[in-house]
Amino acid sequence: MSDTTPSLTAPISLSTYHQLSLTVDSATIRNSGLFKPNPYLQVVIDGKILRKTEVIKNTLHPKWREEFTVLVTPLSQLLFRLVDHHSFRKDHVIGQKKVNLLKVLYYFNGKCENVELCIDLMKTVSQDSSSGNLTTEVKTADLILFLDGLRIDPAILSQSHDVLGEASNARSPLNDGVRARIRSRNNLETIRSMLRSQNLRPPPGPPPLSNGAASGATQVEGAAGPSNAEHNSAESTAQNFLAAHENLAAPPSTATTPATPAPAAEEPLPAGWEMRYDVYGRRYYVDHNSRSTSWERPMPLPAGWEVRRDARGRVYYVDHNTRTTTWQRPDTERLARFQHWRGERRHVVAQGNQRFLYPATHPPHPHPPGPPGPDDAPAAGSSTTSAPSITAPTSSANSVAGAANASASASASASASGGASASAEEGLGALPAGWERRVQPDGRVYYVNHKNRTTQWEDPRTQGQEVSALEEALPPGWEIRFTEEGTRYFVDHNTRTTTFQDPRPGAPKGPQGAYGVPRAYERSFRWKLSQFRYLCQSNALPSHIKITLSRQTLFEDSYHQIMRLPAYELRRRLYIIFRGEEGLDYGGVSREWFFLLSHEVLNPMYCLFEYANKNNYSLQINPASYVNPDHLLYFKFIGRFIAMALYHGRFIYSGFTMPFYKRMLNKKLTMKDIESIDPEFYNSLVWIKDNDIDECGLEMWFSVDFEVLGQVIHHELKPGGDKERVTETNKEQYLQLVTQWRMTRGIEEQTSAFLDGFNEVVPLEWLKYFDERELELMLCGMQEIDVDDWQRNAIYRHYTRTSKQVAWFWQFVRQMDNEKRARLLQFVTGTCRVPVGGFAELMGSNGPQRFCIEKVGKDTWLPRSHTCFNRLDLPPYKSYEQLCEKLNYAIEETEGFGQE
Amino acid sequence: MAATRRLQKELNDIRQSGLKSFRDIQVDESNILTWQGLIVPDNPPYNKGAFRIEINFPAEYPFKPPKISFKTKIYHPNIDEKGQVCLPIISAENWKPATKTDQVIQALVALVNDPEPEHPLRAELAEEFLKDRKKFTKNAEEFTKKHSEKRPSD
Repeated sequence: MSDTTPSLTAPISLSTYHQLSLTVDSATIRNSGLFKPNPYLQVVIDGKILRKTEVIKNTLHPKWREEFTVLVTPLSQLLFRLVDHHSFRKDHVIGQKKVNLLKVLYYFNGKCENVELCIDLMKTVSQDSSSGNLTTEVKTADLILFLDGLRIDPAILSQSHDVLGEASNARSPLNDGVRARIRSRNNLETIRSMLRSQNLRPPPGPPPLSNGAASGATQVEGAAGPSNAEHNSAESTAQNFLAAHENLAAPPSTATTPATPAPAAEEPLPAGWEMRYDVYGRRYYVDHNSRSTSWERPMPLPAGWEVRRDARGRVYYVDHNTRTTTWQRPDTERLARFQHWRGERRHVVAQGNQRFLYPATHPPHPHPPGPPGPDDAPAAGSSTTSAPSITAPTSSANSVAGAANASASASASASASGGASASAEEGLGALPAGWERRVQPDGRVYYVNHKNRTTQWEDPRTQGQEVSALEEALPPGWEIRFTEEGTRYFVDHNTRTTTFQDPRPGAPKGPQGAYGVPRAYERSFRWKLSQFRYLCQSNALPSHIKITLSRQTLFEDSYHQIMRLPAYELRRRLYIIFRGEEGLDYGGVSREWFFLLSHEVLNPMYCLFEYANKNNYSLQINPASYVNPDHLLYFKFIGRFIAMALYHGRFIYSGFTMPFYKRMLNKKLTMKDIESIDPEFYNSLVWIKDNDIDECGLEMWFSVDFEVLGQVIHHELKPGGDKERVTETNKEQYLQLVTQWRMTRGIEEQTSAFLDGFNEVVPLEWLKYFDERELELMLCGMQEIDVDDWQRNAIYRHYTRTSKQVAWFWQFVRQMDNEKRARLLQFVTGTCRVPVGGFAELMGSNGPQRFCIEKVGKDTWLPRSHTCFNRLDLPPYKSYEQLCEKLNYAIEETEGFGQE
Repeated sequence: MAATRRLQKELNDIRQSGLKSFRDIQVDESNILTWQGLIVPDNPPYNKGAFRIEINFPAEYPFKPPKISFKTKIYHPNIDEKGQVCLPIISAENWKPATKTDQVIQALVALVNDPEPEHPLRAELAEEFLKDRKKFTKNAEEFTKKHSEKRPSD
C-alpha cells in the first residue's frame, strides 16, 4: 500500500499525491449591502488546480453540497475563495482562507476521514487612518466543508518535523479561524442499543452441526489453498476473495472500477466502514464488520436494519421491520426486489388453486404390475440378505451390503435364465453407479437403484433414448446425422439430399398425425405423465411422514425436517401441519406448503436464485450464491424439495428457465438457449457465427472472462486457450465452447448439489421421457388461459389487427385445447405461466413486453420465436391450413425447427 | 484477461491515429477496462471547451458493449445531468463485437457536435434547442465556459 512507505522515503512520501474527497457543503455570508450575492466557491490547491462550484443566485446561505476529488500532497495549501458572480461586471471576492493540509492531518493523526471543517472566510479591508493605510482582515463568511478519504501514515507525518520544522507546533488545535471535527458516524449508538435489545437469529443456516459436519462449510475450508491459484472455479475464487478480505487488501486489481458517479451530497459511511485508496489512487471501501472490501460505496443501512455476527463469526443483517435476516448487505436494488417478492405473497395461494394438470386417472396401463421393491426382491429369499427394514434409516448401509450379496446370486441366475436378454444388452456398457440388474424367479429382468431404493423394469441405460440397437438398418446410401441442436436427420447420399423423415419402412411417416405432421413428432404428454405417475406410485412407501412447521419460519423448519430424513422417506405420504392451525392434511395443506415454500426459496435475501434476464418469471441459480456460506446445502435441499413436488404431483409457484430444465434432463445446451437468459451475449455470438471474422480484428482467443461480485474470473476454454486465436476456421469450436461455458459459469457446484438432492428422491432417469417444456408443465401446472385477454393485449409488427394471417392465428388459438395453448405460450414467451394481472403484464427482458406477432420471411419458412421479446415471427402463410400445419410443427418440435 | 488484448490493440491504434477530437487518453496500467479522455468538439457552442469522458468496458467485452459517461458537465440535449449519454452504436440492439472503440468515439463526437433533439435525454434542452436556438446556444456557451476543461493547446 502506498501509505505505508518505509520512513526512509518519507520526504518522497510527503510529496506523493493522494486523492482527497472534498465536499463543499454550505456557507453563511454576513450581510453587507442591499443586494444578496450570487455566491460560488473556488478551490485553489497549491496555486494550481482550480475547482469551482455552481453559482447559487441571490442568497446569503448558499448550499452547494458538491463533491470534488482533488489530488493533494500532505504539504498542500488549500485556498478557498468565496466569490460573488455578476453577469455584467467582474466577479468579486467575498472572502477567502488558506488552509494548511498538514495541520489538519496533524490534528487528526494522519487521518482525514469524515472531517468537517468550519472555516472563517476573511476579507482584507483597507482602513484609512491618521497613521496611514492600514489593512485589517474582516470575517465575511463561514464556510462548511467535508474532507474524506485521505490517510497518511503518522510515521511519515512525524518525519515531516525535519522537513518542515515550523509545522511541528501545529499539534495544537487548529486555529486561524479553522475549526475541525470528525463527523458522527451513522447512528452508531442506535445500533449499539439495538444490539443489546432483541436476539434475532442469523438467516436460515444448517443445524448447528458439530465441527465440520456441515459439508458446505468443510468444502469451503478444504478449498482454502494458496490464494494465488488460478481463478478457474467459483469456489477457489470465493476463497481468493475471502483471502483478500482477510488482509483487507484492495479489491483485486483485475476487477473493473465501476463508474463512480459522485452523488451531489454523499452520506457519511455506515458504521465500521472506511474509504481507502489503492496504489492506483482508486477508491475502495473497507467493511471492518465483515472484513471485506468493495468498489462500491456502501449505502447506509436502511432504518431498522442492523449488522450482526453469528456464532461462527459470519456477518449477517437483521431487518427489525420485518424481523428477518439476510446474508447480503441490503442495497436499494435488493430491497426493491425484496419488496416485489413480498408483494407476490398474497397472490401465491390464490395462484396455487388455479393450477391444474390432468386428473390423476389411471388409463389402461401397458405395463404389468410394477417390479418388486428393492427389499422384497426375489433375492430376499437368499439367506445372506439382512432383514429388510425400510423404516429404519440406519439399515440402508446393511441393505446395500445385502443387495451386493444378493446381486451375486442374482447375476448367477441371470446368466442361466436371462442369458439371451443379457447378451442383447451388451454394448450398452456398465450400468450407472448405484444401479444393479436383477432377475425375478420367473426370469424377468429388473433394475435396482440403490441410491434411492427404487426398482424399475426399464434398463436405465436405454431409458428415454431412442433404442438405436433395435432399429432397422437404414437403406443403402443413407446415414443418420444430428443437427447442432441434437435433432436427428437423414442424409441420402444417393440423391445428395437431407430430410427429417425417417426413410425406413417401419418408421411413422407421412401426414398421418392429427395435426398434419408425422405421428413420430406428436407427443403424448398424457401418456408419458401416466407412466411417470405409475413409477411414482409403484415406488411409494407405506405410512406417512409428518412435517410440522410454523409459517414464520417456513424455510428453516422445512429445511431442517427435509434434510434430517433419509431421502427415500420423502416418498411417503406427506402430512403437513402448520403450528397453531388445526386441520388435517388431506392434500390441501401440503399443496399450500409446496406453493408457499417454492415462493420462499426465491426470497432475494437468500441469494440462491435470481430472475433470469429481468424476466419476472423464470429462475436461475445465482452465481453469487456463495455469499450464503451454506448455499450448497440449500441447493441440495431445494433439489429434494422440487423432486418431492414432482413425486407427490404438487405444483410450485414459479419455475426455472428452460435451459435449467434442459440441464435437469441432461440435454445438450445450444446457442439458442443463451438467448432467453442473456440476449446481448447471444446476439454477439450470432454475429460471430454469421460473419467472416478474419478481417475484423476481433482479437479473440480461446479464453473468456466474467464478473461476479466485482471479481473478474478468467477461464481458458481449452488447454492453452490463451494462446490460440479464434479464426474463421475454428470459430465453430469456439462458439460451442463459449456456449457451454456461458450456460454453466459460476453455477456448476450449485447445479450438481441441486441435482444430487433431486436424484435422491426422484431418479433423474425417470424424467428422460419428457422434454423441458413438459417438465415445466408438470412442475408448475397449467392455468386456464384467457384467449380474449391474450388477443386484447397482443401487438403486431408489419401485420395489423385485421391481417388475415392474424385472424387465422387467433382462430387457430381458439380451436386448440388448454395444453396446446400452454405449449404455444412456452414457444413464444419461454414459459407457460401468465402473470397475475393477465397478458397486459407480460414481461420481456427489458421490462413490459406484450405478446407480439411480426410478419417475417416467406411462406415456406417455419414460425420462429424470440422468447426475450415475447415475439412470434409468423411468415405470411397462404392459407389457414398452412398456418396450422407450420405452427403445429414449430410448437411440437421443440428444437431445431421453430427456433434459430 | 480475455478483453485485455483486444483493448490494448484498440488503445494503441487510437493513440497512433492521433484523433484530433479525442485527446489526453488516460488508462490505468492495471485496469484497462476503464479509459478516460477529453472530447474536443469542433462545433459551437461546445468548441470553447473540452469534456472529460469515461469509457467502461465490461469484463465480457466485446460480447457486451462499453458504457460511456461524461465526467464534465455539459449542456446538451442528449447528455443528462449525471453524464449519461444515449449512443445508438453501443445500445444492446445495435452492438456488434466487431465495433471498435474508435468508431464509438467518432459517433460520440458527432453527437456532441450535432445534437439529436429527436432522441433527447433532457427533453427541456431539446425543446429549447428546437424552439429558441439562440437562447440554447447562449446557455450552452456559458455553461461550457464555466464547467468545461481547457482545450489542449497543441
